[in-house]
Amino acid sequence: MSRITAADRMRRVLAIVPWIVANPGEKVADVASRFGLTEEELLADLGVVYMVGLPPYSPDALVDVQIDDEGRVTIRLADFFSRPLRLTPGQGLALLASSDGLLSVPGTDADGALARALAKLAAALGVGDDDIDVHLGAAEGRMLDRLRHAAAAGTEIEMVYYSYGRDAHTTRVIAPWRVFADAGAWYVHGWCHRADGERIFRVDRIESITELDRPATVRPDDGEQTNGVFHPREGDPRVTLELDADASWVVDAYPCEDVTEPVDGVLTATLVVTAVPWLERLLVRLGPSARVVDAQGLADATLLAGRAAARMLERYRPAG
Amino acid sequence: MTVNKLERLLNLTAVLLDTRRPLSAEELRQKVDGYPPPGAAFHRTFERDKDDLRVLGIPLRVERVPATDPPVDGYRIAAEDYYLPDPGLDPDELAALHLASLTVRLEGLGDQEALWKLGGLGGAEPSAVPGQGDPGVVKDVVASLPGDPGLVPIFQAISERRTIRFPYRDEAREVEPWRLDFHRGRWYLTGFDLAREGERNFRLDRIDGAVEPTDRKAETRPPPPPAGGPRRPWELGEEQPVTARLLVDAERVDAARRELGPDVVGDQQPDGSVIFTVPVVNHDAFRSFVLGFLHHAELLEPSAWRADIVRWLEALAVASGPVR
Repeated sequence: MSRITAADRMRRVLAIVPWIVANPGEKVADVASRFGLTEEELLADLGVVYMVGLPPYSPDALVDVQIDDEGRVTIRLADFFSRPLRLTPGQGLALLASSDGLLSVPGTDADGALARALAKLAAALGVGDDDIDVHLGAAEGRMLDRLRHAAAAGTEIEMVYYSYGRDAHTTRVIAPWRVFADAGAWYVHGWCHRADGERIFRVDRIESITELDRPATVRPDDGEQTNGVFHPREGDPRVTLELDADASWVVDAYPCEDVTEPVDGVLTATLVVTAVPWLERLLVRLGPSARVVDAQGLADATLLAGRAAARMLERYRPAG
Repeated sequence: MTVNKLERLLNLTAVLLDTRRPLSAEELRQKVDGYPPPGAAFHRTFERDKDDLRVLGIPLRVERVPATDPPVDGYRIAAEDYYLPDPGLDPDELAALHLASLTVRLEGLGDQEALWKLGGLGGAEPSAVPGQGDPGVVKDVVASLPGDPGLVPIFQAISERRTIRFPYRDEAREVEPWRLDFHRGRWYLTGFDLAREGERNFRLDRIDGAVEPTDRKAETRPPPPPAGGPRRPWELGEEQPVTARLLVDAERVDAARRELGPDVVGDQQPDGSVIFTVPVVNHDAFRSFVLGFLHHAELLEPSAWRADIVRWLEALAVASGPVR
């Protein structure tokens, strides 16, 4: 058994005792499973509770724990632990955020048990139901449903996907393994036959899908849980940018290698470039606030932004 | 050792909850089993126990013991601080909360103890959100929300209806907090800025220091959250509203519509391209959005903003050296 501190056990005891006081006569095994413990762990905790009480610690002032022949447990005389300890602000926030986030998933019943639980919990915590608002990401509910069903059924789909990085549409056959939300967007992780490898796609960039009703030929490795969405490879090109203070958000927004301390607000950061149009777009958006100072595996990196800008200018200044 | 300490902490909590008047450290030493005799060893142990109680979230009150001179610190736990008001959750609601906490996690804050306090996990495996057509649908969803040091103090201030102070864009702000929003991967605070006398939005990751609660009561009541879902970057700002017209090529129209949201009006052209009419209060954010389309979009109006884009692109074209 892993080492567990007195404080950890205290948390458990302060939650379990009030529940048993309020629900006398439940079986030890059921209580243990309700709180995610083994029976041995629960009995050890109850053994400690047995020693707790108020001075002068005479038998009538100690907590009375009784377990009958059928394994039903009762606790009496625990007035001081008759209700659980209130939630810390962090615990309350985490529960409300999880619930509101799950309710934002298209397809979740907006009037179901979770919505009722959220309203009751918010009221008990002294906040309004709307005070915490979590949107996991924009995605069409039907698209998420169809991807999740394919993932659950282990079948393949064909999709038209807009690759933001490459600024191009492609048609791909993939075996979806898992659908998840991360940092404000929905993703599907699976095997892509076109790339002949594992890939992660943003659900809101899938233009359309067709179910192929054929079993996936490649299955995920057992126990695989990829939650990160970005996996740079050794050979990917790198670019080093000099960023002014108003462009320093780049460091928070994209995975960077080698970020220097700012000098007069200017810092340099090295980014992995998975697709050239992505870099082009980033540089055009940053404009005068960013300069390319170095590039590896990338020809003409310093000319990228200028070429893109020239292409765009043609649109704003039509010939003639 | 652990059991002795657990017993002592439980007894200490029981005594502190039971007492009506603050008890001095010495009184507690006498009443609670398991403390060393008076002296340095006792003080060390007692200080550590107090810290442990605080870490556990047990609200220990420190008050002066009556009729002591010089004053002596006394301790007690007030019932109203300690006990969880019963939210009255039905079993299916508790199971739904359990499922939510398993599938959507808030970094650094989600923990099992919260559910224990609410009555356990309600069984080993939450099968589904009741009332949902297909139990399997949301079960495997896993989403993670980033944590932020400002979240807990802001949430606490919302529930206690207090104002908060924090540094933001090199200025000290005092705000009546109304709402925390998570969208597009970021946490935002909406509230009433006391100095600016109006509603403002703040990005939590741009808060440049600690969020401190004040003793001042929040007086404004939050208006209902905006319809049409979360706001876009160009809807978050302090500028006079400007209506922009943006032409987007047919092949990028779907993506643009998703980014712009359902409320933005689009006028479809014969070639399939669409002219969107977009209300903007943050010019920089909107320029960045427009530039992201590269040559697949064109800002039509206002003409001053169009000229600004042209200047922006010309500067880039020159800075990168001769083209063509």
